[in-house]
Amino acid sequence: MRRVAILKLWTPILLGGLVMPSHVQGFSLHGFVEVAGGLRVTEDSTQPKDLVLGEGRVQLEVSQEWKAGPRLFLKTDLLGDVADEAVKVDLREGYVDYSPLPNLDLRVGRQIITWGTGDFLFINDVFPKDYISFFIGRQPQYLKLASDALKASLFVGPLSVDLVAIPFFTDDTVLTGKRLSFFDGLTSQIVGKDASIVLAKPPQTLANTEWAVRLFRQFGSYEVALYGFKGFFHSPLGVRDPGRHELFFPELAVYGGSVRGPALGGIANLELGYYDSLENRAGGNPFVENSSIKYLVGYERQAQTDFTVGVQYFVEQMLHFESFKASLPPGLPSRDEFRHLFTLRLTQLLRYQTVELSLFVFFSPSDLDYYLRPAVSYKFTDQLTAVLGANLFGGAKQSTAFGQLEANDNVYLRLTYGF
Amino acid sequence: MRTRNTNGLGLLWLFALLSLAIPSAEGAEKIGAEEVMKRAYLAEYYPGDDMKAKVLMRLVSGDGKERIREMSMLRKDLQEGGEQRYFIYFHRPPDVREMTFMVWKYPRRNADRWLFIPALKLVRRIAADDKRSSFVGSDFSYEDISGRGVEEDVHQLVREERLDGREVYVVESRPREARGTEFSRKLSWIDKTTFLPLKEEYYDTRGDLYKVFSADELKEIQGFWTITRRTMKNVQTGHRTEATFQEVRYNLKLSDTLFTERYLRAPPAEVR
Repeated sequence: MRRVAILKLWTPILLGGLVMPSHVQGFSLHGFVEVAGGLRVTEDSTQPKDLVLGEGRVQLEVSQEWKAGPRLFLKTDLLGDVADEAVKVDLREGYVDYSPLPNLDLRVGRQIITWGTGDFLFINDVFPKDYISFFIGRQPQYLKLASDALKASLFVGPLSVDLVAIPFFTDDTVLTGKRLSFFDGLTSQIVGKDASIVLAKPPQTLANTEWAVRLFRQFGSYEVALYGFKGFFHSPLGVRDPGRHELFFPELAVYGGSVRGPALGGIANLELGYYDSLENRAGGNPFVENSSIKYLVGYERQAQTDFTVGVQYFVEQMLHFESFKASLPPGLPSRDEFRHLFTLRLTQLLRYQTVELSLFVFFSPSDLDYYLRPAVSYKFTDQLTAVLGANLFGGAKQSTAFGQLEANDNVYLRLTYGF
Repeated sequence: MRTRNTNGLGLLWLFALLSLAIPSAEGAEKIGAEEVMKRAYLAEYYPGDDMKAKVLMRLVSGDGKERIREMSMLRKDLQEGGEQRYFIYFHRPPDVREMTFMVWKYPRRNADRWLFIPALKLVRRIAADDKRSSFVGSDFSYEDISGRGVEEDVHQLVREERLDGREVYVVESRPREARGTEFSRKLSWIDKTTFLPLKEEYYDTRGDLYKVFSADELKEIQGFWTITRRTMKNVQTGHRTEATFQEVRYNLKLSDTLFTERYLRAPPAEVR
């Protein structure tokens, strides 16, 4: 709702931009038109519809730049959603860039913030994600959600410092049963459309402003970064009232670092993060996410002409595992102290890069579950692209990250015309 | 090693002047194949201390389907003939618009490459191999864009002749390391006056001709002879790419800081 409300304020500016002739200095209008459809290909008794994706979308990108002055950028989606039976307007991004000093850049407004080194695995990129879009075959850009934030980037010699203040909380778009069924830990069963979950967002107060910082420096070919975050989990990883199915977003601090650079004829990356779950520091509360350390190592190289292979190994270590185990009420699903996850990315480009065959695999040897993302894309012209892909899930248990999605296997097709 | 070595540039000038001063090209000094290729490398990839250009690429398939790549390019040399930095901002087509691409090129190892994807605000490292990867789906490889080290091949002067009214050296180059190189043999027609390649023929590992480069238009810009229109044609598939360089400017005194993550994420006004 908030997104729609804020859009109303922007509408006059947006329309003002649209009526300006495109040859005006510093003005640009671009975007795309897209139709997309996706069907569930497995039987799911919890969902009345097999249509997981059905939409027509227009994305408009407007930017206005003043010479040696600020730059205004707006990206808005107009969306007819058959699966939800709704017409939506979504202000994806809307910000102003301004550099008051030669070594200081400011960005104010709704903005996507990305840092860290993982490929579809996030440790220090704590910013909001839309996992539903990811699972049903929307464009990868829809995995990232914008934050309503102020970002200041300061450049001191070779060092960059990004400081972000996020006064308005944005949560991840997570599984709530609406399109995809999932495992409800409180009732230990797969639930779908009839799931009732209450999400209690952090109150909108000044003290609840989230803070994020990144220190970045390049040493030759190697990029080194340190990260800090103080705010909330963006996924509802706390249970406030098990009876009412009321979930909340516990307080969180994250400290981490990463290195990325050339190794063994390819690119390697290493990233660590310590997740300090501030409302469960002793780890004895099974209803609030435990503290953890997350480790990631990745490697990518071109194996042949136009064929690239990327692998990652990710470990999540629960820090107060004994306390967690001891406090876990009987009947609730347990977890492992260590969650291991491998990913594999294969990309083959053909016919002067107009055809792309890709496969992304998540596989966890500890959870014994997997998620496959095969896709074929073809560029008919510079403007028109078709993507045919699938999202395939499975696992030995219903309670794991990908195992719970087993009944949501889907195949999708997108047709996009850019301008 | 960030000191700029201008000696190489001075030498280049000297040679350019010398070749102009000698009335007949037949009387030009005798130089070896290696030296010809060294000068050609500098003339093509290192003119000026830095450069800015708008590059328009037409990618035309065998059946006449056309695609367009339009980009602004900045280049800065840290040493003449040595380390270089490139910054590329894409204007067209829509699916790559506003993407930025940064290259830190080193003489004897793979370049560092970064790509910024604006829709995700994501900075990626590109693991592509210089020698075998096509640049943005064109007939040019990364190596064709930023140069292949002269020392990587063995060069032999085949003959001297006239090509389109210009005196040229014809040099044959064979890679010292066959592994990882697309061509087994290359013939270059190097202009005796400008030392720019006017034509190149690439032969594949079977010995068949597969790629032909031609410099279609040469202009003198701020005293530097520049190939402002060039074509790379794959004679086996019929696909070709024509690249036009517009608004070429040299010696803009570009700052080192342009070639950093800051501007990758927020491209400077001079390229947008």
